[in-house]
Amino acid sequence: MTELRLIGGTALAEPEEVKAVPTLRLPPGRHGIPADLVRAHQRLRLLEAAATAVAEQGYGRITAARVTELAGVSSRTFYQHFEDLWACLLAAYETDAARLCEEIEAACAALVEERGPVAEADRRGRATVGIAAALGFLAAEPDVARLLSAEPPPQVAALSGARRDLIERLGALLREVLADPHGATPMPGLERRLIGAALALVSTRAANGDPQRLRDLEPELTELLLASL
Amino acid sequence: MAGVLIACGEVGFRETSVRAILERSGGHRAQFYQHFESKEDCFAQAYAVWIERLCVSLLEAAATTPGWEGGVREAIVRLFQFVTARPAIARALFVEVQIAGEPALARHEAAIERLAAAIDGVRADIDPALAPPEATGVFVVGGIESCVVEALGEGNLNRLWDALPELMHFVAGSYLGKEEAEGAFERASILLGRERARLTGAGEEVEER
Repeated sequence: MTELRLIGGTALAEPEEVKAVPTLRLPPGRHGIPADLVRAHQRLRLLEAAATAVAEQGYGRITAARVTELAGVSSRTFYQHFEDLWACLLAAYETDAARLCEEIEAACAALVEERGPVAEADRRGRATVGIAAALGFLAAEPDVARLLSAEPPPQVAALSGARRDLIERLGALLREVLADPHGATPMPGLERRLIGAALALVSTRAANGDPQRLRDLEPELTELLLASL
Repeated sequence: MAGVLIACGEVGFRETSVRAILERSGGHRAQFYQHFESKEDCFAQAYAVWIERLCVSLLEAAATTPGWEGGVREAIVRLFQFVTARPAIARALFVEVQIAGEPALARHEAAIERLAAAIDGVRADIDPALAPPEATGVFVVGGIESCVVEALGEGNLNRLWDALPELMHFVAGSYLGKEEAEGAFERASILLGRERARLTGAGEEVEER
């Protein structure tokens, strides 16, 4: 496996695994690092910078120049990766939305693996673990929390669509928990209301800038999301 | 004052220039900068006026209707009437505010807190042992707002009205549990079935006061 050593000393593996690594800068000048790895690393830095820029400037003031500056790449590099600012923000949103959902699914799967059929039947237990995983993820990455929870400009249809997709996906996870094993189905649309409300709450807490406030939300949010169970 | 909100609601905050605002509201550039520091400042000042009007109107709708559930439902109906009558301003108040940044966003948060505190009044009737979480008010108001934002985004305000029973289920369920939620859903469905034309036909309440 190709391994890449960064200035900060962190080992960087193949592109698939790069996403978990903090975006340190590559060494300048000739370094013999394969071009595709350099590109993958640049893209990750841009995606991370996009979330930071949204948290820092909001959608009203954000510019491609600021994203480029935060990522430590040239403007030319930015446009080699993305057509414009909105394409970059869309990629960042979709990547982070997928990471959030994977985090929740992995936490629930781990519980079932650990406790077997008991956990399978324990809807409340699985929901609690999933909500804790989501809030833990968002608290660890407050810029991502801002990116995912804030309402994007509706004029950028693709970005609004990505937000709707996230609400649908989180809603599907919640529906699975809310569904009555004896056949009764949850009311259509209820989970969308619950997820919309949860994102609004997360957005308020994330805007405050204190990650602990997001973690502290766990018992309350669990109770609120499961009130219909 | 409405000019900046209508302009931002129609084409978006980022795309709205000072010139576009002046084309709607009249006046010259120099006059604009005598009153406002920037487009953000102008938006925030207009926002403050309109969100106050809307809050007062919603609180009044709730206060003049008997019972907590009836009051909440009436306030949601009043909100939907406003959104249906003035979609561009509603888009500015609920969607573009997220893009306009501080201090409009701070006023938005203050309005959410105020409405949350009002809706939280039902706690007085709930056994303390069964009291819902502290964040319930903000959660519920956020859920109602997300429903409005969704309908505005889709450009289908009929769906907003369709969502009334489901929203009442969500609000009552968050505070009072599943049984009350089902009752609130039922009562809102009956009201909508019986009086939809009257409810959706009314409209300019907020502007007149």
